[in-house]
Amino acid sequence: MPAVTKESSPPLSDSAPDPQFTQRARKLRGLLLVSFGCLLALLIGAGLDALRSLRELDGVEHDVASGFAARNQALSTIIVSVHLYDDQMRRYLLQDEPSGKNPTAEDIARKIAEVRSALHSFPAADDSAVQTLLERMRQQILDQENSFADVQTWEPQSRRKRAHDFIGDTLVPWRAQVLEISQQLSTANSKMLSEQNRLLAARFQSLEFRLGWLIVLALLAGVLISVVCGWYILRLERQGRLRYQALARSRVELEGLSARLVAVQEQERRSISRELHDEVGQSLGALLVEIGQLGKLVPGDDRVAQAQLTHIKSVAENAVKSVRDIALLLRPPMLDDLGLVPALEWQAREISRRSDMEVEVHSERVSEDLSDELKVCIYRLVQEALNNAASHSSAKNAKVTVAQRAGSIHVEITDNGSGFDPGHSRGMGILGMEERVRYLGGRLAIASAPGKGATVTAEIPVQPLPSPVESRS
Amino acid sequence: MKKIRVLLADDHKLIRGGLRLLVEQQPDLIVIGEANDGREAVSQAKSLKPDVVVMDIGMPNLNGIEAALQITQTHPEISIVMLSMHSDESYVLRALKSGAKGYLLKDSAESDLIKAVHAVADGKSFFSPAVSKVLLDDYVRKLKRSGAEDTYDLLTPREREILQLVAEGKSNKDVANLLNLSVYTVETHRSNIMEKLNLRGIPELILFAVRKGIIS
Repeated sequence: MPAVTKESSPPLSDSAPDPQFTQRARKLRGLLLVSFGCLLALLIGAGLDALRSLRELDGVEHDVASGFAARNQALSTIIVSVHLYDDQMRRYLLQDEPSGKNPTAEDIARKIAEVRSALHSFPAADDSAVQTLLERMRQQILDQENSFADVQTWEPQSRRKRAHDFIGDTLVPWRAQVLEISQQLSTANSKMLSEQNRLLAARFQSLEFRLGWLIVLALLAGVLISVVCGWYILRLERQGRLRYQALARSRVELEGLSARLVAVQEQERRSISRELHDEVGQSLGALLVEIGQLGKLVPGDDRVAQAQLTHIKSVAENAVKSVRDIALLLRPPMLDDLGLVPALEWQAREISRRSDMEVEVHSERVSEDLSDELKVCIYRLVQEALNNAASHSSAKNAKVTVAQRAGSIHVEITDNGSGFDPGHSRGMGILGMEERVRYLGGRLAIASAPGKGATVTAEIPVQPLPSPVESRS
Repeated sequence: MKKIRVLLADDHKLIRGGLRLLVEQQPDLIVIGEANDGREAVSQAKSLKPDVVVMDIGMPNLNGIEAALQITQTHPEISIVMLSMHSDESYVLRALKSGAKGYLLKDSAESDLIKAVHAVADGKSFFSPAVSKVLLDDYVRKLKRSGAEDTYDLLTPREREILQLVAEGKSNKDVANLLNLSVYTVETHRSNIMEKLNLRGIPELILFAVRKGIIS
């Protein structure tokens, strides 16, 4: 069975089912298969048995009918031959045909032989009454033969006189006797027929009974198997539902986890950025001011000291620049200082400065009061999409559109770069975008094809923020 | 001689100290107060009524832009110099929209602060040279990549003259007096300039002027 072979070699993926469970399931499956096989065999057996029995009964019925007919036929032949013999015998005895057409002894012997053969042709029957009757008949024929032999020894002189006596005393009673036996045979034959018919009916009834039992048995087995199957299916369904629920639960948990990761990451970045900006940056800034002050104190003609100061200043300026760049990357303060759209415009110019791609930003009715989560999400989304476009697609132009509508905000980033197949290449960046957007209940779509540029679209619901007046009260 | 009264607003004590040091070296300047965040800056500006507020953009509670907006709305006579680490257009424009007259990069605060305070106290604008450079670079790059023409070239000499005067903070009437024109003519020129340069509002006009190095 190929299905079983396939089952027995579990797939290499990590979703290999519990071996104990598989074994039990396989056992149960085997049991069901055997049960179905038995039920089927039972039904086929019952059907075949019924067919065979019916055919047999049909044969028996035919035998009975034809036996009855054959016996009747034989009986008729006997009666006819007896009559013929009787007639011939009379004419032989009386010799009253002047024309010399009287039957000869040979004729008589032939007639009696005919009677015998007629009797002989009577089909054998295992009915004792019939056999007795046949025996009696045979005896009668034997008696008649003996009588005929006796007749042949008669003297011609006394023949005429004895013939009359013979007819009256022997032939007539013999014929009556034989016909009587025939009558009895006929009756016995009829009785046999009805007896056989009764037997036949009984056999038919037993067949009916047997079939009925088989059907009941098959029905019971079927019901049993159905119940077992139903139970099994219900159990599978329940298990499936439980697994699905577990899966859905773990997915929700995973989403929650990744959302928390994103939030934590954002928070960390912000705090590191602030830390860098506030502590390191400000200290360096103050240092720069101090260096400037120092420069005024050091005499202008002290070239060595001035050169040293200039060097210190440039080192400090470099440090300021590095810290600022890192802080900007971690958490652009524009989002907090200026709001979403100016921050996006800043980002667009920043990318335009750094790369060969010119980025335009269009905004429509974007409110200033977006939640921090939403602003960060859109900011990072645009950042990711623009960075992808600038670094991988060698796009020359990109356009960012942010439009706020009733209840949602629509973000679209389009570039005219080399594009990609979104079905195949889905890097961590895109996954991250999806994650952020989905966490806020939005949808992200990426449309691109090689040579066709790319369009990243996001539709994110906007929860109306509590108005400042309300939050203050 | 009346000294110029300065209020310093920055959430970092070190920076404030450095700024105070710079300001107080000048005989005609005096620091009359320091504020630690935006809210404090607003309340101090309203109570102390300084001539100039030197304010950091990135401050907790209320950032410098919002604070500047609140101050100039009620006290337009107070001039504000915005201190920032960013030379980006977004910041400059927002600062201008909030009513700031000067925009100073922290890098160059040491060398330019005094000039900036004097300029804004005098009713003029002041922008760090580095800001003008970044704005111009962005502008030129954009023009080059998009193949568009510099809208400044569309202006007539008279319009350029008026653009500069308006960007320096002069009213229509001042401009009319200076150039011997009627106020109505100046207004017409102004709207033509705005249309040709595709600008919305004075802040954008000032930004444009800074970018082109017309004012500093």
